[in-house]
Amino acid sequence: MGTKGATRLVSFFVFNSNYGPREGEEHKKILFYYPKEEDLDNKIKNIGLCEAIVKFAETFSDKPCQSMHTQKMRHLFLEPEKDFWAVMTVSIPFIEKQKEGQPYTEYQEEDVQDPVYEALLRQAYRMFQVCTSPVYEAILRQAYRLFQLFNGTFCHILAKTNNNVDVLKQRLDHFYSRYLQTLRVHQSDIIDIFSGIHFMPLDKNTYLRVQCFINLLEARFPYIKYTAFMYNDQLVWSGLEQDDMRIMYKYLTTSLFPSYQEQELQGTSSVSPARTTTAQAIHYGKFVTGPPDINDENTLGKIPRVFINSEVENEECFLLVYRAHNASVCMLINVANTMTFDLCRKLDGFLGPQLTQLASDIGEQYSKRVTTSGDPPYRYIYFNHMNLAQKTTVHTDNKKSSGIHIPPDTLRLLTDISADMSKSSEDGETIVKTFSDNWVVGKKSDQREFYVVINQKNANLIEINGNNYNIRMN
Amino acid sequence: MTSSEDSGSFFIELCKNPIRFDPVDKNTNVFYDDANKQVFTVRSGGAVGVVVKGPKENDSSTFRIESRGDVMSIKFSPDRKILGIQRSPKSVEFINFGDDMSTDQLEYSQACKGKSTIISGFVWTSPTEIVFITDHGIEFYQVIAEKKSLRSLKTISLSVCWFVWQAESGILLLASGSLSNSLNPFQFRGGIVTKLAKFEVDLPASTKPPRQSLQERDVSMALLYGQLYVVVLRHQPRPGTAAAEIVLYQIMREGPARKTNILRLEMSGRFAINIVSNLVLVHHQTSRTSVVFDIHLDGESDGYVHYHYPVVSPLPIKPFKLLLPSLSPQADKMEYNCELYSANWVVFQPNVIIDAKLGCLWYVELKLDPLVTMIPDKYRLVKLLLVRDDSKRVILSVCRNMLLPGQQANLVSIAKIFDMLNKVYQQYLESECQNLATDSGVPQRSRVIIDQSDMYTHVFSVFEDNKDIKYKFMVAVIIEYIRSLNQCAIPVQHYLYELIINILVPNNCFYQLHQFLQYHVLTDSKPLACLMLSLESVYAPAHQLALDMLKRLSTANEEIIEVLLSKQQLLPAIRFIRSVGIVDTVSSRKFLEAAMNTEDPRLFYTVFKFFEQRNVRLRQNPKFQPGEHCEVYVKHFESLFGTDALAHIQVS
Amino acid sequence: MADSKEAEQVSTSESEQSDLIEPETCIHRENSMLLPAENFISIDYESFENYDCQPSGVIHEIVRSNSQDKSEETPDVVLSSSNDEFSAGEDKEERKQISAKELASALTEEDIEEDETRKPEWRAQKKHIFILSEAGKPIYSRHGSEDKLVTIMGVLQALVSFVHDSNKDNIRCIIAGDHKFVFYVRDPLILVCVSQGADSTQQLLLQLTYVYNQVLSVLTHKTLVSIFKQRRNYDLRRLLSGSEKFLDSLLSLIETDYSFLLGAVRCLPLDLQVRDMISQSIIQHARVKDLVFALILANNQLVTLVRMKKYYLHPVDLHLIINLVHASESFKAAESWTPICLPKFDSSGYLQAHISYLDESCQTCLLLLTVDRESFFTLSDCKNKIKERLLKYNGLNAIGDSLTKTSYSINQCGITDLRHFLYKSRSTAQYTSPEVEAPYLGTEEQERLFGLYQYLHHRIHTSARPLKILYHVGPHETLLGWITQGFELYAVFGPLVTKPSAIHSINKLLKWIKREEDRLFILNSVTF
Repeated sequence: MGTKGATRLVSFFVFNSNYGPREGEEHKKILFYYPKEEDLDNKIKNIGLCEAIVKFAETFSDKPCQSMHTQKMRHLFLEPEKDFWAVMTVSIPFIEKQKEGQPYTEYQEEDVQDPVYEALLRQAYRMFQVCTSPVYEAILRQAYRLFQLFNGTFCHILAKTNNNVDVLKQRLDHFYSRYLQTLRVHQSDIIDIFSGIHFMPLDKNTYLRVQCFINLLEARFPYIKYTAFMYNDQLVWSGLEQDDMRIMYKYLTTSLFPSYQEQELQGTSSVSPARTTTAQAIHYGKFVTGPPDINDENTLGKIPRVFINSEVENEECFLLVYRAHNASVCMLINVANTMTFDLCRKLDGFLGPQLTQLASDIGEQYSKRVTTSGDPPYRYIYFNHMNLAQKTTVHTDNKKSSGIHIPPDTLRLLTDISADMSKSSEDGETIVKTFSDNWVVGKKSDQREFYVVINQKNANLIEINGNNYNIRMN
Repeated sequence: MTSSEDSGSFFIELCKNPIRFDPVDKNTNVFYDDANKQVFTVRSGGAVGVVVKGPKENDSSTFRIESRGDVMSIKFSPDRKILGIQRSPKSVEFINFGDDMSTDQLEYSQACKGKSTIISGFVWTSPTEIVFITDHGIEFYQVIAEKKSLRSLKTISLSVCWFVWQAESGILLLASGSLSNSLNPFQFRGGIVTKLAKFEVDLPASTKPPRQSLQERDVSMALLYGQLYVVVLRHQPRPGTAAAEIVLYQIMREGPARKTNILRLEMSGRFAINIVSNLVLVHHQTSRTSVVFDIHLDGESDGYVHYHYPVVSPLPIKPFKLLLPSLSPQADKMEYNCELYSANWVVFQPNVIIDAKLGCLWYVELKLDPLVTMIPDKYRLVKLLLVRDDSKRVILSVCRNMLLPGQQANLVSIAKIFDMLNKVYQQYLESECQNLATDSGVPQRSRVIIDQSDMYTHVFSVFEDNKDIKYKFMVAVIIEYIRSLNQCAIPVQHYLYELIINILVPNNCFYQLHQFLQYHVLTDSKPLACLMLSLESVYAPAHQLALDMLKRLSTANEEIIEVLLSKQQLLPAIRFIRSVGIVDTVSSRKFLEAAMNTEDPRLFYTVFKFFEQRNVRLRQNPKFQPGEHCEVYVKHFESLFGTDALAHIQVS
Repeated sequence: MADSKEAEQVSTSESEQSDLIEPETCIHRENSMLLPAENFISIDYESFENYDCQPSGVIHEIVRSNSQDKSEETPDVVLSSSNDEFSAGEDKEERKQISAKELASALTEEDIEEDETRKPEWRAQKKHIFILSEAGKPIYSRHGSEDKLVTIMGVLQALVSFVHDSNKDNIRCIIAGDHKFVFYVRDPLILVCVSQGADSTQQLLLQLTYVYNQVLSVLTHKTLVSIFKQRRNYDLRRLLSGSEKFLDSLLSLIETDYSFLLGAVRCLPLDLQVRDMISQSIIQHARVKDLVFALILANNQLVTLVRMKKYYLHPVDLHLIINLVHASESFKAAESWTPICLPKFDSSGYLQAHISYLDESCQTCLLLLTVDRESFFTLSDCKNKIKERLLKYNGLNAIGDSLTKTSYSINQCGITDLRHFLYKSRSTAQYTSPEVEAPYLGTEEQERLFGLYQYLHHRIHTSARPLKILYHVGPHETLLGWITQGFELYAVFGPLVTKPSAIHSINKLLKWIKREEDRLFILNSVTF
């Protein structure tokens, strides 16, 4: 077989028709357009098309237009705020084939699954809003939500700058031009739809210790409004509301931590792990965001600002992250407070020793737990709608950065099944046998979704039973 | 009760009603027997009469004895049957008494052995045993009342300067040696004398000889926290230092007594020592103040000896007003302000103060409430209170107050205090279990236990009453408490969970609540599940969480079915009964009723068919039995799907 | 390309070849050999002038019998020809690619004129079907009159060509909430479906191809192409006027009859001997030159099919025939003689069909399909002979009886918790299914049941991720789909059925079907 074309991000743009109502002003509608290189006419044309589609759909449907399928492309639409449309276009993967010597292209339309990319789109917005993230629908969703994470809603920005559209454009550009790079469009899958959270399994007493540690922290430093505690890429405690935590988690695990670890490896950030601070004892605490070196007064480091909706809409906060060993404490401080080096030093003095201790204790438990056996007879994905808890043995790691253990088509099958089940609020179960003789069980009950891929060619339907695999999970 | 403001500032008091007796004068002598806690007033050698007064009204009595010269010492046997009187250094006389304290006044006497021997005193070691302490040692006798004679049990010879007797522990301490600083403890129990290892009390190395020898009045014995100590007052511990100190020697079963604690008085002059509920009370005459030491509060230590400082700064005893019958009939009783720390005071162990001139015997008492304000460090305070008798009320109020805005303690010390309370709580529970296991009714030394319900009703209730406490703090505190309980492996009561839930919910901390459940910080229980159910309206997932909990409990099938049916969740309900294997026993009527109420024909059809099949399985016939009262549902089914849709008996 | 999609559709159905049907790739070769294309085609293909009169004349034959159509016909033509003229001009511009601006303006126009799209009841329709010419001329709308839909048609056309022109791409579908907008561009027509039903996009696409084929069966592909080659702006309605009812009935059949979903036909259950007798009657009395197919239909079910050796009838074509019979009352009035194009058989020409009912109750319909358009009386003669013989041997009664039983009840299979099923024999492209019974009473519930099967079929046949088995426990039913070499089985149970008992039932069912096989299916095909 000939060359293969994988799914890639073709374009991503945000527009508002009200900004260029008159002829010749169409370009004003464009708030952000990727790729920048695209020439203006095409930008205008594509936006025109999307406007048309959206409007056309309205003549039949009360629900907004979600996607347009063409032979080569998939458009995803999202109207996160009134009259603001975010559109993402991804390419349909294809294979160049030969038929009687004639080359022709076979497009694999069904490899691109709307729900996945809608999710991505929503997240992208949300990430922007808090700071932004998303799979194509999943990806588009994510894209917007990530934007929110770091920027607040579009309207919020406009309101703050008395409708200075340029500021919004800058923000969009600043955020998305980076963010879109990080988007692994071709790797998106059902996980992006859930965009859930991996919780750290802990025994009650250790968990309570973490609890009390956090309480103490917040009592000592009252301007810390919310705190989240993570070990590796797993959440132990979140004081944020679910939806905020979900997007924050996405940001931390897919963006902040990875880049920090790179730095660490390159040893660019301050060395001397076991250094003694002005405060007492030796500890391994360090700021991930904030002062790179606690002994160097001169630099406060980069402290991102994020937008949280936990208590009030669009609450702007500093995101201060501190880490010792594998434990990270994420502190959100309302921007009304000024970040001073002194504060950071105080924090370091408090957090350093305690967190170091706590981290190594958790580490012990963790190492005990992590000793898992070789290749299991089945792989599963678990998601709990109530607390967003998520688990996967289908992916090699939580960030699904490196590969999956099952055939891609089987993985897509999971998305099909979950999409089917999402149509009904009630419990359901689906068991299928693929043409490659894999068994797949999808189960939705008690607000939880659970997918098992079983690799037993000669099993029969009776033997396949979701419950057999239903290990109790939070 | 006198005016409140001074009651606040004094924590040492003299008991309300002192024991009154005729003051000492030229023909009245007064004796105090600390073993029986009795005051003897002997008028003109007893001929006029002897009045005995004890702590309780009833054991005061009056009798006469023949006047045979001045009484040197007079003591009842522990059972008040025999009175011992010493009038001469050579012998002791005895008189038998009846239960009604009647006496035939017939004396019988026992002289000490050896010509030159001098009896310096005697003590009852049991109702029928008595010890003479002489300058040559001790003579141990059995008193045979009916024969009116004594039998010598044992004699130990040792040159004795002076002695101290501790009745509760039956320990007799004999001072010997040139400086009378080598102390020989003897234990008397059940007619047996045990000699314990003797030990030296190191005397201050005074510059100019002759060195001060150890004075009887500077030595006493005291039970502190169940341990017997020899309490030695040193006036000039080290040259140069004016400040006196108290040295505690702990009497050991084996080996010589160990010097364990030193109490720093930081004053000099005349002191008197009392022991009140395991606290060492030191009265300082010159400053007319008293200080308190608690050896239980960890002081600084050099590895061998712990050094302690007064728990609170010196304070005077609370002024005491005596009511005297007035001379003039018109004016009623007149008040008399007793002089505190007066020269006439004689102090006895453990907690007795006698003013012989005044004719008053007081018990020294300790008031805990004033301490609360005097000890700023809540942890020290609670630690101190926790080992006092009936301090529960005070401790609870301390805990309660440390949660109030303004006087709020920080979480660290709150945590420490919780841990301390729960340690005791845990030990208590454990010993309880042991007692149950081996029902050896060993009466626990009654200690103060602060259990969960105490905390709930008296401490955490503050959250209810005081609205301006931040919820974060409340949650933090309760979580600390739960943490502490868990660390002590004490099962947490559900009302604590309810409490925390009732704080989280109004503040919309549902996700947090959810995480608590997720990590089983809130342990499963039916009440908790029910509470969760009630939250569904404000937090949808609560319903499912409750169900999960009930399922985990696995003792709540009925409840689960009810919940599901009430939610019209018929299929889950049926799947559930199938999963727990009670399909054949449930009432078809209940389910059909619920199904009919859903007004969903599909659902009704499914449920109806399910039970039809059950009928077939149970009775090879799809029809419902009259007993099941399902006629109405059959009708309903027919009206929806027609009669043909009813299952028919399979003939195949 | 849209066609490649179509190609897929065909190939899938080819894979289920039966001895009824053979790849039509060969058909063309064969038939061109056997009957010279000329005389076959010459019937229909006149020079362009008399085009208007001739084929529509043909159509009128069909239409004549039910006169009510006639009235609309004339004004229809007038109106169309009129805007025909003046729109001829703007053609030229439209050739140039449409700019986004025009797209938008097209949309705004719509606000001005009062049109169907404003009417809530129109908007609420479950499934819209639009046919328009590549130039955007309205040809057919399932709901509302095309004239009032000029704009929407314009937009549809604009979208298609915009996507095509701007980056050589082809619009497939648009998703908005429950609405699916499916585009099927097949030179020279654009077919669009707007549905809010359970159908998957693939299923909607299949339906559009049926619609397309229905158009062909009236006009032939050749004609269609050549018309528009001549005049891009031709108003096709004048040629189709009167045949809308076939489209309408086809569409309602598609929504109620599983044949289309399964790509199979349903046979009227008959005992083997009876069926043989019936086929024999045809063979004996219809041995006529140029008679290609002879078949008997009863209530949309196939009673028998006799074919010329080497000629095969594709289910798609058979469905068109069934629809033809189903849709027209006229045949009940009198023997009819009508041309019909069977696209799978030969999309470029007509067959001539002799259609008549054999019984008074007009349930049993005989169709004789020939290439000889002069043989009406010969065939009418055959018909009478056949009828006699059937009467003689109680063939018609047998059919009548079977019809009164309207299929069979699920109870006959003696499987308690099974509610309904579809069984398709892949080798014969035939299927069987019991009556729809409780709890599926009332149209709403029956539509829902149909939806369930659509879902089951869709999920199993998703081309990228086909499945062998699908067991699905839903809120109201448990569904089981099972594909093997020999058959496709789709079964519906109650939601509480346990897996073991479901599987048990299925095995029981398969045994039962095996027993009943030669009653339910036509296993051996009959030729002249």
